[in-house]
Amino acid sequence: MQIIISNSSKEPIYEQITKQIKSSILTGKLQEGMSLPSIRQLAKDLQISVITTKRAYEELEKAGFIYSIVGKGSFVAEQNLEVIKEKKLKVIEEQLSAVITNSREIGLSLNDLQELLKFLYEE
Amino acid sequence: MFNLIKRDLIIHKWQILLIVPFIILFIITASDTFFVFFIASIFIPFNALAVDEKKETNILLNSLPYTRRQIIASRYLGAILYMFLSIGVASIALFVMNRPFTMTDILIGSGTFLLFSAITFPLFYIFKSGYISSIVLISGLILLAIGPPIVSLFAEHFTVITDFINQFTASELYIGVSVFIIIIYTASWLITNTIYQRKAF
Amino acid sequence: MENVVELKNVTKKFKDFSVENINLQVKQGFVTGFIGANGAGKSTTIKMMMNLLKPDAGKVNVFGLDYRTHEKEIKERIGFVYDDNVFYEALNLKDIKRIIAPAYKRWDNSLFYQYVERFELPLNKALKKFSKGMQMKASLAIALSHHPELLIMDEPTSGLDPIFRRELMNLLQEIMMDGKLTVFFSTHITTDLDRIADYIVFIQKGKLVFNQSIDEVAENYALVKGGIDLLDTDTEKAFVHVHRAATGFEALTDNRKAAESIFGDSVIIEPASLEDIMYYLKGGIYHV
Repeated sequence: MQIIISNSSKEPIYEQITKQIKSSILTGKLQEGMSLPSIRQLAKDLQISVITTKRAYEELEKAGFIYSIVGKGSFVAEQNLEVIKEKKLKVIEEQLSAVITNSREIGLSLNDLQELLKFLYEE
Repeated sequence: MFNLIKRDLIIHKWQILLIVPFIILFIITASDTFFVFFIASIFIPFNALAVDEKKETNILLNSLPYTRRQIIASRYLGAILYMFLSIGVASIALFVMNRPFTMTDILIGSGTFLLFSAITFPLFYIFKSGYISSIVLISGLILLAIGPPIVSLFAEHFTVITDFINQFTASELYIGVSVFIIIIYTASWLITNTIYQRKAF
Repeated sequence: MENVVELKNVTKKFKDFSVENINLQVKQGFVTGFIGANGAGKSTTIKMMMNLLKPDAGKVNVFGLDYRTHEKEIKERIGFVYDDNVFYEALNLKDIKRIIAPAYKRWDNSLFYQYVERFELPLNKALKKFSKGMQMKASLAIALSHHPELLIMDEPTSGLDPIFRRELMNLLQEIMMDGKLTVFFSTHITTDLDRIADYIVFIQKGKLVFNQSIDEVAENYALVKGGIDLLDTDTEKAFVHVHRAATGFEALTDNRKAAESIFGDSVIIEPASLEDIMYYLKGGIYHV
């Protein structure tokens, strides 16, 4: 599992961690049932305080991305609807980005693109 | 507790061996044999005290799992233990050097040592660290130098006291003096204990 | 037991200095950093935690126990590292070990030698010939060899180079891995704490300013920078200290959200480092 922390970022460190773990789960790099490093191990690896990693895991747990078993550690949770939704949304974002890139290449304006999208969506 | 007493030996390292020439020196120079036993007994406890009066050492000892009561107890019990040890070494030295000595010499020597310790130990804990050890040692030596003449002066001029002492038998006198010394030593222990409880480091 | 150390309304007065009404908790399994300027009362507080000093008023509990009745039990479970060398400096490490080891029931000789090897410490050299860094390593090796549950360190990193300071932080995280060890240490080098501390206790002129998790500190405290014209008696209430210059103002707030809602996008709001907080609060905490 790869996590990169920026100390100069305005984003709090625990948020940087949750974002990156979320994205690993959504992109399928971390799969259901896989175990995550312990709070203390992660803190040591990232050279940050335990309380920060603890908070990151708590947020992920609240959002349903991971679950913890006392004495065993934390694991990637079964993906619930919310998670799947977010996963799909991410895919859609990526696809739309590709559409935008293509549109720009041929000089299609945002208005034209919106018209096209509307037409297709309502069909 | 015994660890605290043993510590007095460890902090001396090889210097502990200096006790032998030290004793021999006093056997040669001292006029009274009891003095040899007295000086020999002083060597270990007072050298240890000289090291221990430092603030750092007190911080160390009090940060370890010892109570203040134990630290003081080790000082008072250790002094007695090392006194016996030193008397042993001194006796051997006297024997080897073919100097005669009696049980009375040992008793007077150890009695003087205990009295001296009882008076000086609390001083180490009352005053801030610094020169106490040297002051105590020097004043002790001066006391010993002027002590005997004063006693004989008393014996000559205050016949009331000598008459009072003379009415007891020798054994009665020994027991009386022993009890007196034990009381003083215990009182000193209690005083030092009280002082040490209140000390800040 | 969640709080390993608990100070309740602790007061200690000296002739020219005092710590007053200190309330603080050290949470189990975490690193608590104790910061404050020189002479703020850090050493006095630590000495009261170690029972080297007895408070005039208030209570000190360690592991939920009272020193008056459980002094030995408490100290059996504490490892200590002080700024000054408290060990007999004429002795070598081997002899010092011979004095310290029997004091602890749980002394672990093989663990001691592991640390000696890891820190590359000479066993037969007098401690007074050790460099400052080596003395600190020796203290640490001794402090950790009886499996302490609480490690108390007074300015362990002062006088150490940055490389060893960072190594020390890594070592602490490593030995805290099982969650059993609690670490409390004072320092005025706050970069050590920015890195690994979980809780920060800040003391100023004998008074406790705050005792917060590093997250809370980051959420509450911030630096606000903007034009002088934005300041008036109302807006300044959001700050604990304001520094004015011809080019604009720089201020410290202990209520980031309030500052954000007052000034919005008209100012720059940046995270405040512990050093910033210490610097701006040097005059004590008060709202301007």
